[in-house]
Amino acid sequence: MKKFQRFLFCCLFLFCLYISNAYSQQQEIRILHLNDFHGFTAAYKAFGSDEMLGGISSLAWLADRLRKEKPALFLAAGDMIQGNNWANLFKGKSVIELMNEMGFDAMVVGNHEFDFGQNVLKERISEAKFPFLGANVEGLDELKPYLIKELEGLKIAIVGIVTEDTPILTHPDNVKGLKFLSPVETVEKYTKELRDRVDIIIVLSHIGLNADMMLANKVKGIDVIVGGHSHTKTGRHMIIGKTIIVQAWEHAIVLGVLDLKVKDGKIIEAGSHLEEIKPKLLKKSDAVSSIVEKYSKMIDAIMRDVIGETEADLDGENVRVRETNLGNLIADIMRQTSGADLAIINGGMIRTSIKKGKVKVDDIYSALPFDNYIVAMKLTGKQIKETLEHGVSALEEKAGRFPQVSGITFSYSRSAEKGSRIKDIFVDGKPMEPDRDYVVATSDFLAAGGDGYRAFGEAIRVSNDFSVIGGTIKSNNLVYTDPGKWLRDVVVDYVKAKNKILSSVEGRIKEID
Amino acid sequence: MILYVNDIQINVLQGMTIMHALINTGLLEQVVSGRKVYDEWGNEVGLDGALSEGIKIYVR
Repeated sequence: MKKFQRFLFCCLFLFCLYISNAYSQQQEIRILHLNDFHGFTAAYKAFGSDEMLGGISSLAWLADRLRKEKPALFLAAGDMIQGNNWANLFKGKSVIELMNEMGFDAMVVGNHEFDFGQNVLKERISEAKFPFLGANVEGLDELKPYLIKELEGLKIAIVGIVTEDTPILTHPDNVKGLKFLSPVETVEKYTKELRDRVDIIIVLSHIGLNADMMLANKVKGIDVIVGGHSHTKTGRHMIIGKTIIVQAWEHAIVLGVLDLKVKDGKIIEAGSHLEEIKPKLLKKSDAVSSIVEKYSKMIDAIMRDVIGETEADLDGENVRVRETNLGNLIADIMRQTSGADLAIINGGMIRTSIKKGKVKVDDIYSALPFDNYIVAMKLTGKQIKETLEHGVSALEEKAGRFPQVSGITFSYSRSAEKGSRIKDIFVDGKPMEPDRDYVVATSDFLAAGGDGYRAFGEAIRVSNDFSVIGGTIKSNNLVYTDPGKWLRDVVVDYVKAKNKILSSVEGRIKEID
Repeated sequence: MILYVNDIQINVLQGMTIMHALINTGLLEQVVSGRKVYDEWGNEVGLDGALSEGIKIYVR
């Protein structure tokens, strides 16, 4: 009898142990994350460093290895398909092929995903084997607000949000008809809706770290924010309230790894780090390497594409000392594209000449190697004069600040004192009025104060905030900005459309002594 | 948009990046020669990183 009682007791004990384990099971999951890739497939040396970092095929190999260690999700936090030539020349198609091969589970749209227009974005979404998320974007049905994944018996909701500023971060045409809602209100709504249906809520965010922190402060119930947009290297995860925040720098030079221990549907432990992608120490994914190589070869072919013809040599050598036909051509294109009254650029942005005859994509890319975009803003006649004075203030040094212009002519005296060299200025053939506002196209570089140009900064300083109303930027001073399209690509499109380039020196800039 | 670089207030256009803030303050050359950019919590940030109103960044 005693033996039987002991047997019963043991059975009861084992049963209780089983029940207790079943109800308080601990799961370990891993979240791999990447943001702001911008098509950087190749490793590179960061400023001031001798070490190569990055390389998407090395990252892909590492991601595969890390996924084998425990159940994992692989998430992309936006700005994946635009930036580098490897992405831009294929309007992001190359990147989607890569991401499909790498087995991403979900991606949130970043502001730069809109840079090729909505039709292209829809094509990219249709090619992807993973969902594109965008809970706070109204008007684009292809974007899903959230995704629910099951991992180790856990239900995980992934809600995607993009910066509300997207309409001013891309050309207004790219977001026509779309509404970008408040990330806070959007996440609040979906958190309430999903909280009882899932174990873990992840916000896949492209709003930047500051906004992520504010979001975590304002909305309770978010377990994890996987972020992007501010290109932040969060060495270790941050915690705001009960929300874990991570972000994996930029350009695939690190891979974000967040390990979570979950018990009874709650995160009880988190560990995170960024795996630096050191190509010398890592193997490569053959499949990803072959995609990279395939598109790189196509880039070589595109660079050799003849897109038009020039009837004269286009002078990029003398852009720092006098008016040139290439300077005129580029300034004209910038003025026309932005609808400005005039354009002022720095000669230093043009790096080489283009020979008479057939013009290839590579010729334009070599002449304009920098990632500049067009900005147009209102300047008074007085500010324009100050800008030109600065442009001719270092003639002796043949400095890059020497201006190339469109829609304006001026004369200057080399022998006059710096700051008093500019003599006559005409806009559209009429004397420039000091107190009148003119819309001036330039590059983002000069608008930021590059090459010592300060007048644009002054115009920004006195300008109020702006907004996009009916597809047009409304602001005191900013009239046009298109950070999503490099100037060299605008020039390529122009040459393709015109086919024949006719540009000459017309006496826009005259030295009078 | 107003932001702070090494505690100095500057104005840049919305849509501009860390790189533009460094151009504006003349600090880009320091970064080219090896200094790094950090946010106010000590996280390193990339030069193409988005700026936001009131953000504070430091070059060191």
